[in-house]
Amino acid sequence: MKYCDKCKISIDTNNNYCPLCQQILEGDQKKELSEKYPEYVSVNRKIYPITKKVIMFVTIVSIIILLIINLATFNGRWWSLIPIGSTFYFWVLISVGVFSRQNIAFKLAFLTSLLIGLLILIDEATLKEGWSYNYIMPLLLFTCNLAISGIILIKRIDYRDYILYLLTIVILSLVPIILLFVNIISEPWPAIMAFALAVSILFFIIFFFPKSIKDEIKKRFHA
Amino acid sequence: MNKESSYDTWFRLDNSGKIFPEVSNHRETNVFRVAVSLTEKIDQDLLQLAVDAILSRYPMFKVKLKKGLFWSYFDYNSKPFHVEELKHYVCGEINPKKNNGYLFRVMYRNNDIIIEMFHSLADGAGVIMLLKAITFEYLVLAGKDIKPDNLVPTKNQRPSMEEYEDANSKFYDRKNRKHIPEQRAYRIKGTPLAEDLTGLISGNMSTSAMISLARENGLTMTEYFTALMMYTIYVTQIQYRGHIKSNQAPVKIFVPVNLRKHFPSNTLRNFSNFVKSNMVMTEDDITFEELKALVKEQFEKGMTKSELIRKMSENVAFEKNVFLRFTPYVLKKYALKIGYNMLGMKLNTMSLTNIGKVDFPESMEPYVVDVTAAVYAGKYNTLNCSIISFKDRLKVTFTRSIVETTIEREFFRHFTNLGFDITIESNYVEEY
Repeated sequence: MKYCDKCKISIDTNNNYCPLCQQILEGDQKKELSEKYPEYVSVNRKIYPITKKVIMFVTIVSIIILLIINLATFNGRWWSLIPIGSTFYFWVLISVGVFSRQNIAFKLAFLTSLLIGLLILIDEATLKEGWSYNYIMPLLLFTCNLAISGIILIKRIDYRDYILYLLTIVILSLVPIILLFVNIISEPWPAIMAFALAVSILFFIIFFFPKSIKDEIKKRFHA
Repeated sequence: MNKESSYDTWFRLDNSGKIFPEVSNHRETNVFRVAVSLTEKIDQDLLQLAVDAILSRYPMFKVKLKKGLFWSYFDYNSKPFHVEELKHYVCGEINPKKNNGYLFRVMYRNNDIIIEMFHSLADGAGVIMLLKAITFEYLVLAGKDIKPDNLVPTKNQRPSMEEYEDANSKFYDRKNRKHIPEQRAYRIKGTPLAEDLTGLISGNMSTSAMISLARENGLTMTEYFTALMMYTIYVTQIQYRGHIKSNQAPVKIFVPVNLRKHFPSNTLRNFSNFVKSNMVMTEDDITFEELKALVKEQFEKGMTKSELIRKMSENVAFEKNVFLRFTPYVLKKYALKIGYNMLGMKLNTMSLTNIGKVDFPESMEPYVVDVTAAVYAGKYNTLNCSIISFKDRLKVTFTRSIVETTIEREFFRHFTNLGFDITIESNYVEEY
């Protein structure tokens, strides 16, 4: 035990000053003891923030250049949306798809919906050919449904966390068939394919996991 | 047979717990710590086994925080929990992503078992139960012949629903929920420590000597400490500087009250409220005697049943509000943040938590040296104090986010001048 004669306190430490008044402590510690609280260890900075900054800077500069060229040679079409949208999607893909620790079903559902939205925008901004409604939307939803249900079947352990995202995509898959009825979509087979898969998955969940879907809804929507 | 916690398990956040996820960050972590020192070195593997056993007994700690449409909730966490070695952080932010989703940590160092918990999950009384249970289980695994004596919940008990209840809403009274606006409190000034570091200084003294000192003054121990704290803040920070604008704000000490002692409930979740001492200290001749009388009076007023119910109902009222209830969570969290700024941290100069006496079963006592409690120190409460005792060892722990230790120094010198023997422990943050 060391002693501070100013504060009249005793302390067990390897340090030789008083934590209260910073004065030199009296008395000797016979042997080196293990402090009650560990010492500060500084955390090594990771390298990737600087890489991130460089890529971010390059992205912003290229977006500005693209916008300027588009405006300077403007012919009624916002073609710069295609590269800008793709760069934006690249960022989301890296941060959500690769680095985020969200569960995979969320990643798939989120990235698919975002990609559909982006491609519809590009379609609208360019030639308005309708390929995004006719093919991209139903086929991407179909793939996403297949992927999430596949993952749930293989990786049964966390299916409760996934089931709500699956349900979101299943419900979204009903959109193409509605668009087909209001004649926005001209090509029927992709929409029907997406619808058929979505409905089968929906019934599969209702038949085989009725309790989990009820529980999940109760949890998520309690007020 | 024990009912194992499973995927079916989920809990609503309790009333006080709802606010913390939205207002916590690396600076205001809302994390607190309790620790126990045993007589022998802690074995990591045994501690891991003990924690695993206890976690299946306490499903309410084996959870992760998830967001729903209207409220966030605790969902069953299937990932494994890992005990870790103590790092230099004191009550640092608990990042669920780096912690397998768990909202608490169990750490060890030399002879100590340390639990740090996010305030959403439980309050001091709840975490003390967890600490006792883990320590008991650890000592059993280490081959000690000990008995729980009904003081420690063991892994063989069944969890009861009573442990999970949100007791705050049980005592809600819609006629007695008036919100009384408060003034911003005085803030202890000092040089901030770098990198969100927290300094920790605790002093050990004799419980019986302290109790008799408080009794001589006609006060409880908490009242004595609060009055002394106000006096120390006054002497070191405000006296003769009353003309400065920032010193004219009232000094308010926030003292949590364990409501389990006032209302019938055995919940492990948040069930505490507070009393506050409150005084504008601009005059140059405030004495300690005056403050003792003031604190006694204010605490007596604050501890009446109707006042405690009013404070509870005031908090519960916001979650009963129909408009707020059906606001989607993404918007609601901003409402909670604004509400917290009106009711929250800026209204206190510091918090002084008295967890009180920790009782271990008699057969366990020989293996326990002492217990420690600490709360985080942040941007607004730059200095906080927690008090806990085990047998005749009373430990007063100060945590600070500033470099200066003048308040701690004057506080402990008050006792050494009265002839108390005080042993100090420090994490020597100024060395870093």
